[in-house]
Amino acid sequence: MSTTNNIAQARKLVEQLRIEAGIEQFSPFIRHDNRWQRMSTTNNIAQARKLVEQLRIEAGIERIKVSKAAADLMSYCEQHARSDPLLVGVPTSENPFKDKKPCIIL
Amino acid sequence: MSVSDWLLFLLVRSLSLASLPGSIPFSSLQVQPQPDAKMCDQTFLAITFGPCDSCGLNKPLMNIYLKNEPINYCSLCVELMACQGLATGETIHTLKAESESLKTKLEEERAKLHDVELHQVAEKVEALGQFVMKTRRTLKGHGNKVLCMDWCRDKRRIVSSSQDGKVIVWDAYTTNKEHAVTMPCTWVMACAYAPSGCAVACGGLDNKCSVYPLSLDKNENLSAKKKSVAMHTNYLSSCSFTNSDMQILTSSGDGTCALWDVESGQLLQSFHGHSADVLSLNLAPSETGNTFVSGGCDKKANVWDMRSGQNVQSFETHESDINSVKYYPSGDAFATGSDDATCRLYDLRADREVAIYSKESIIFGASSVDFSLSGRLLFAGYNDYTINVWDVLKGTRVAILFGHENRVSTVRVSPDGTAFCSGSWDNTLRSHSQVGCSSGKWWRWRLNGS
Repeated sequence: MSTTNNIAQARKLVEQLRIEAGIEQFSPFIRHDNRWQRMSTTNNIAQARKLVEQLRIEAGIERIKVSKAAADLMSYCEQHARSDPLLVGVPTSENPFKDKKPCIIL
Repeated sequence: MSVSDWLLFLLVRSLSLASLPGSIPFSSLQVQPQPDAKMCDQTFLAITFGPCDSCGLNKPLMNIYLKNEPINYCSLCVELMACQGLATGETIHTLKAESESLKTKLEEERAKLHDVELHQVAEKVEALGQFVMKTRRTLKGHGNKVLCMDWCRDKRRIVSSSQDGKVIVWDAYTTNKEHAVTMPCTWVMACAYAPSGCAVACGGLDNKCSVYPLSLDKNENLSAKKKSVAMHTNYLSSCSFTNSDMQILTSSGDGTCALWDVESGQLLQSFHGHSADVLSLNLAPSETGNTFVSGGCDKKANVWDMRSGQNVQSFETHESDINSVKYYPSGDAFATGSDDATCRLYDLRADREVAIYSKESIIFGASSVDFSLSGRLLFAGYNDYTINVWDVLKGTRVAILFGHENRVSTVRVSPDGTAFCSGSWDNTLRSHSQVGCSSGKWWRWRLNGS
């Protein structure tokens, strides 16, 4: 009887220690199409520190307003639209991809 | 406590600490030889078994990189090392709380600058006229699905790779095949033309990227001159030469990207940050410097600095795998195509998504995207066998192109912008160009009338 008590206690203790040590739990691979995706809960310190470092870097970058960024994209488009053959088309005589016509020998 | 209880306690204690790696099912462990210093590997992904570098015990090891040096520690030593660097008072909980607060702060900062949508700003831009594209050439010759293609800088040659292991160099004007190489593996998912036009790089399920110098002698056996450059621990999904023939950037199913020196095969820089396969990468156009963007199965698109290996920006708004990423010609933005049937435009300076290209009728994923020369048009190849052409500024669809009889796997615009080529699982490549567009007349009007 005392041994089963000890085993029960031992099991509880293992659970407690696991929580304290913060073990990373790996869940099985999830198949998605023909690629595998790993999902893991970030329970351990190393990953948490990496994440915090990364977020600090990302939070510190300089940002501009969307209106300014959009205006710049638009002005780039307008500046280069004239030289865009897929937009304005090229005359057939210059188009290297024009359909080949059979040669006629006169 | 009795002696036996104390012994049991000690046993349990040692078991619990030693069982840290025990939560991994043993079927996933692989016994591998000591990793070669030239290999590039995902942090925490590949697990080998052997003696730990710090405690010396035989345990499942985690291969991690510290300042680009590979070290093999068991998971316990990794934790101890991480704990050493903690400032006083930092615990797992404070770190988690800090990461959550940083995330919300990031969202707020991004939202503050979101004053207007791109298509609203673009309302004053003239709409594009009716688009008519025509398939000019069909390149037939592959025995199986075409997976990837690239244009040469001479605007004429194309290299394409397919599932049967063949890599073919074509002349796009005449449809002649100039070179053909048979790779020792199938599913060659990546191929790239060198800037000089003298070599091609390709790779796939062999986990390597091989560079073949092209010779003018048609009878020469190209496989003899093959050079293995990159070595990953999973399939190669994408490769690209940098501005010279000397360096190659690769991305792999092991979750990393890497920069290699072609001549020596040396790993110059590795990029860790994706938590799943990286499917695609694209280098910034040369004027804007040393960055590249990568997209992967973790739904994230990351922008990296090539010199430091640092992940400078990260975008996670897609709902599924990102299949393809491509920089806007000015280098200030990039577009992504994803399995969630949308393409999105992200601006780097505003640090957010600025446009979504989607329609309710499109339910199949976009496998590949590319911009036209001016950046006004976005060509996207979908798994429903079509290619949709989007107006980048207004967010509307301008044209649909039919013609392929299976999934479109790759779409690329030629370097001079006169045509674009699409490769498909129907074993063919097709090059398309403009027939004639009424907006062409509009531009002439603008020149005259302005």
